[in-house]
Amino acid sequence: MNLFNIPSNELLQHLINGLTLGAIYSLIALGYTMVYGILKFINFAHGEILMAGTYAGYYFYYFLYDPSKGAAYTIGIFIAALVIAMIASAILGVVIEKVAYKPLRKAPRLAPLLSAIGVSIILANLAALFFGTKSKKFEYPFNNSSMDIGGSSITPNQLMILAVGLIMMAGLKLFVDRTRLGKAMRATSQNQPVAALMGINVNLIISLTFAIGSALAAVAGVLIALEYKVYPTMGTMAGLKAFIAAVVGGIGNISGAMLGGIILGLLETFGVVILGIPQGLKDTIAFSVLILILLLRPSGILMKNIREKV
Amino acid sequence: MKKLLAVLFSLMLLSFVACGKDSDVIESGKTIKIGFLGPMTGDAGNYGKLMSQSVKIAIEEFNAAGGAEGFNAELIVEDTEGKVEKGNPAIEKLAGVDKVFGIVGAVFSSVSLAVAPKAEAAKIVMISPSSTHKDLPGKGKFIFRDVMSDALQAVVFGKYLAKVDNVKTVAILYVKNDYSQGLAMDFKAQYEKEGGKVVAVETALQGDKDFKTQLTKIKGANPEALYVPNYVAEIAQILEQAKQLGLKTKIYSADGFSNPQIFELAGDLSNGVIYTQAAEQPASQNKINFEAKYQAKWGEKPDAFSLNAYDGAKIILNAIKETSSKGMSGVLKVDRDKVRDFVAKTKDYDGASGKITFTADGDLVANIGIYTVENKQFKQLKMFKLDGEKLAEIK
Repeated sequence: MNLFNIPSNELLQHLINGLTLGAIYSLIALGYTMVYGILKFINFAHGEILMAGTYAGYYFYYFLYDPSKGAAYTIGIFIAALVIAMIASAILGVVIEKVAYKPLRKAPRLAPLLSAIGVSIILANLAALFFGTKSKKFEYPFNNSSMDIGGSSITPNQLMILAVGLIMMAGLKLFVDRTRLGKAMRATSQNQPVAALMGINVNLIISLTFAIGSALAAVAGVLIALEYKVYPTMGTMAGLKAFIAAVVGGIGNISGAMLGGIILGLLETFGVVILGIPQGLKDTIAFSVLILILLLRPSGILMKNIREKV
Repeated sequence: MKKLLAVLFSLMLLSFVACGKDSDVIESGKTIKIGFLGPMTGDAGNYGKLMSQSVKIAIEEFNAAGGAEGFNAELIVEDTEGKVEKGNPAIEKLAGVDKVFGIVGAVFSSVSLAVAPKAEAAKIVMISPSSTHKDLPGKGKFIFRDVMSDALQAVVFGKYLAKVDNVKTVAILYVKNDYSQGLAMDFKAQYEKEGGKVVAVETALQGDKDFKTQLTKIKGANPEALYVPNYVAEIAQILEQAKQLGLKTKIYSADGFSNPQIFELAGDLSNGVIYTQAAEQPASQNKINFEAKYQAKWGEKPDAFSLNAYDGAKIILNAIKETSSKGMSGVLKVDRDKVRDFVAKTKDYDGASGKITFTADGDLVANIGIYTVENKQFKQLKMFKLDGEKLAEIK
């Protein structure tokens, strides 16, 4: 096969790169989309919640890090660090909602949005102040030498990103579709006052939504930290891209966020290769896609509701 | 008698004019301000930190030796984060508010190029310890650098790869800033002139963390070597991702690679990278002394740029000392043009980084070293100079 004059092993390599990038976007996009589904508002501090959780995981990991204790130990503390990162992000997400968004729930829609942007700036600057602005290396918990598949290579970390992404997304889908809490969540997203009348604790559901979305972002944060290091602005661009992914897939729609993330990851990789877009303009691909989607199909690829709710 | 009076009078007038126009006056009790312009925070923060620490030492030494006519120097550090948009307000502050007499900096070429016109207009001698872009010395007569030019670095490396290392095909991956792009283009032109073949040229943006797409394309082009004339934050990512993608070519880089932070970020992957930098002259006593002093004061080793920063600061301070004079009521008169002229005359200055001589347009006269990394240690392999068009090894 020799599509667009690119050898097949190279295409496969781009596919692997694009899918891992996409899986990361999807994981982060879930947080945006869940919050939007319930509160009809974009949590622009999401990327910084990711960053904060990653730092928590990073410091926990390095507090216990000791290569002399063997591979099993390292993987053990890495998993523990992942859990710590999830917990830290979840708590932060819930607290931010209580402090910065809840008081504004009945305010005009612009107010919580501005509050979110404010929170995001505060978090990024606090991180710069406390943790310093230098990139910190998050050592792989395993030997990350690449493996050869058909002339392309895939690293254990890429496999882990794909696997963890898949498990998390499947888990979330099952939770939302099959459990009572998930049902309550869906009900809240459809009609808050009526859900409250049915005996659903709306505040609890909203907190839960923030907790789950933030925890998923922390997972994504730790996974990208392994590849791209930890630094205070690590959540900003990733968050923005994930937001686009959520819009592309249809914001408020969980499957849409997953699909949007993967599509965006693949577009960014193949757009450069096949369309010959200069690599320096890679980020413009995502934003162009956003504009196109907003023009042609404003409610996203997987349309959730055709009519705007009144 | 009348004639004599007239002459005296006109001399007085002249000196008044000179006072008003060309020399600044520092009141007694005030300090001579010197600026440092560089990234103190951000991914490149380590460069600025190491260099500003050198300037601090130079200033302390200057003050300990009695300053200029008893006036002490004071350092004003302005953080650019390595970005042009932060560099512009920083130079405005140094020139307009602090009214500095000299600047060590800026660190990155993009920033130096952006701030140079302002330094020139305000008659501030600027010596960059690390901006290697070939266009910088042409930016004005107050603009100097004590680091070698990229043009020289790139030309020598182009010849070296083609003729000495006998590399037939090269891929280039550079970041879109003045430093990387300048090096990449000059290298490409020279290397192709020598008969080498550039099989892929890929670009990225400063601050990018993911280079897999570019590296996958480069792997497809199957070059013998990869040239990455970037800074350590990007090079570390490139080294790691090249390994992940199974790209097994030799990696070549430039002096941006010479920051010890690379060992922290890239670890063992930095071993075997070959890069150019100003040739290390036989370890002078000056260098040994300075490194010991630096280590004792800051608890870390200075990088090559820090040696340049130290020398630059010393040259500026010395010029101020030699050209300034005590004025009436205890003020210090500093003539900016005289300071500039004194700096420009620098020849065979015996600094920590080696012998420093400026060319007519303020560039450094330099030999080029080819370096590598062994066991996380920088090591010079060979030394070259350009003998007309020919590459001549210095033994």
